[in-house]
Amino acid sequence: MAGAGDGNRFMRNFRKVLPWYLFITPASLMLLTLMAYPLFDTLRLSLFKWGGLGPQSFIGLKNFSKLFGDEIFWRALGNSFVFAIVVPFFTVSIGLFLGVAISRRMKGWQVYRIAFFIPVMMSGVVVATLWANMFEFNHGLFNTVLRGIGLDALAQNWLGDRNVALISVMLVPIWQSVGFPMIVLLAAIEGIPQDMHDAATMDGVNEWQRIWGLIVPLIKPVLASITMLSIIGAMKVFDIVLVMTKGGPAFSTQVLGYYLFETAFRSGYFGYGSAIAVVMFVVVFAIAYAYVRGVRIESVEY
Amino acid sequence: MAADRLTSRSVGGSVGGDRTLGWWAGSSLRPIIYGILIVGALVQVYPIFFLLMNTLKTDTQILNTPFSLPTGFSMAPFIDVWTGDRTGMFFGRYFFNSAIVLAATIVLMLAISCLCGYAMARGQFPGNGTLHQALLLSLAVPAHALAIPLYFFVGSLGLRNSLFGLTLVYAALGAPFTIILMRAYFMHMPIELEEAARIDGCGRLGVFLRIVMPISRGPIAGMAIININWIWSELFFSLILMNKADVRTLPLAIALYKPAPMTVETVLALQYAAMALATIPVLILFFLFQRQIASGMTMGAFK
Repeated sequence: MAGAGDGNRFMRNFRKVLPWYLFITPASLMLLTLMAYPLFDTLRLSLFKWGGLGPQSFIGLKNFSKLFGDEIFWRALGNSFVFAIVVPFFTVSIGLFLGVAISRRMKGWQVYRIAFFIPVMMSGVVVATLWANMFEFNHGLFNTVLRGIGLDALAQNWLGDRNVALISVMLVPIWQSVGFPMIVLLAAIEGIPQDMHDAATMDGVNEWQRIWGLIVPLIKPVLASITMLSIIGAMKVFDIVLVMTKGGPAFSTQVLGYYLFETAFRSGYFGYGSAIAVVMFVVVFAIAYAYVRGVRIESVEY
Repeated sequence: MAADRLTSRSVGGSVGGDRTLGWWAGSSLRPIIYGILIVGALVQVYPIFFLLMNTLKTDTQILNTPFSLPTGFSMAPFIDVWTGDRTGMFFGRYFFNSAIVLAATIVLMLAISCLCGYAMARGQFPGNGTLHQALLLSLAVPAHALAIPLYFFVGSLGLRNSLFGLTLVYAALGAPFTIILMRAYFMHMPIELEEAARIDGCGRLGVFLRIVMPISRGPIAGMAIININWIWSELFFSLILMNKADVRTLPLAIALYKPAPMTVETVLALQYAAMALATIPVLILFFLFQRQIASGMTMGAFK
């Protein structure tokens, strides 16, 4: 600011933009050091062999070639995809059903809205611990009920049987998060102007036609965005797996996030772990990119 | 904000015209749909009720008669987990750790995000567009992909096992989304007041602090509310960065607490009490700010 007095154009401009740069400095510094740098460092580390201490040795793409031959990695990737398909499919479709029902003011709609939304607010660890207790083989709620009504044969080792564990684990995020698409889709449905409903009524549509012909087409952009958010959320699942199964039994519930955690922070293979992180990054980024390209978010104004 | 308008309708209950009339009237599907709604609502609420009830039962009751109601109310299990006398886990401490990290993160994140979002909305400077693009891109980066370098970087700053270190990480993770939404809000805010203050000789920072911040209390509170949820529940970074027992956050402590049932004693109830400790504040918050939470969550998804 030494040249405050001179009429130099550059200085005038500089003085004009300087406050803005000062405004963005704290956020930019934090994002550069705690997001941008770690992201690039993950990419770099994925090319090294490193145990966390001592020298990092450059090994090119060896981590990745090892990864592609790693059976557990494929299990984790596959399970993550199963998660990312099954969980959003149920949460979004149940959420849509609930959103429509509540927007049509079915009796007791206020109660349904609260009941389905409360679990969304709870912490994933609490929900997972609670469900792990209910799934417990000897004294868990589910098996107690099944045995109580004489269906002993249906009592499962919900989290201990490799054929059942993934399904059990996936039930939990579905239970927890149906309220999220519900509340968002409900807002979108409520945003449809009444005169469009009136016009449809005049045309004598039944409820089924109203849902599929009027409501769903009008809320499509929101439906797409909530689906993408749910897919990305399911791709990142971690808490539930850590608390309920630790990826077992026999890797049947292993997912990318947990495998990354185990590889890097439990076994100390930080280079190899970084390679898993890179795969995770690429997959999530690709989903987001496909969404942005495919859907072209038009802001809907009715 | 668009989302605000949308949800206030649903809450206001301005139900016009045919809304309730046409719904499957006379159709045989109607009872089925009601059945699904009612059973669904029970399935959603019962586990939470189960959680709260189990804080007051003995192990025998929890394991053998899961549906029975507790015989009386007692604060004992809550006091036990809070003080850690019987568990060796000091949940009172973890609760405060979580509360401190939550409050500090919210303050730090909102401060840097409002400043940055305001500059991006009002300022014309080289790099503004690039910054916006970068922020949008960063939304598609899973936090797991940052974990390994962050672990070492935070360690090199000496901030592992520090509530401040965890706060920095959380604030950075939440900032892009908050900046983008605050920027959008500031762009739609009328500029006249700010211009008047500028003419009166107020500097940029003065305008920001004295004019912009006070009139933006609503949206700022909204951003706080939608961030509270994930910060209170966050496990991954807490697990990585907090290795010492006395700096654990509540979710981490709950994830690590694995009591074995003793049947004769009351051990399981303590675990449920710890879970209730994490859940009850959230439930209170939910009932106080239902409308703001719904509109905040909606706001995020509409972007």
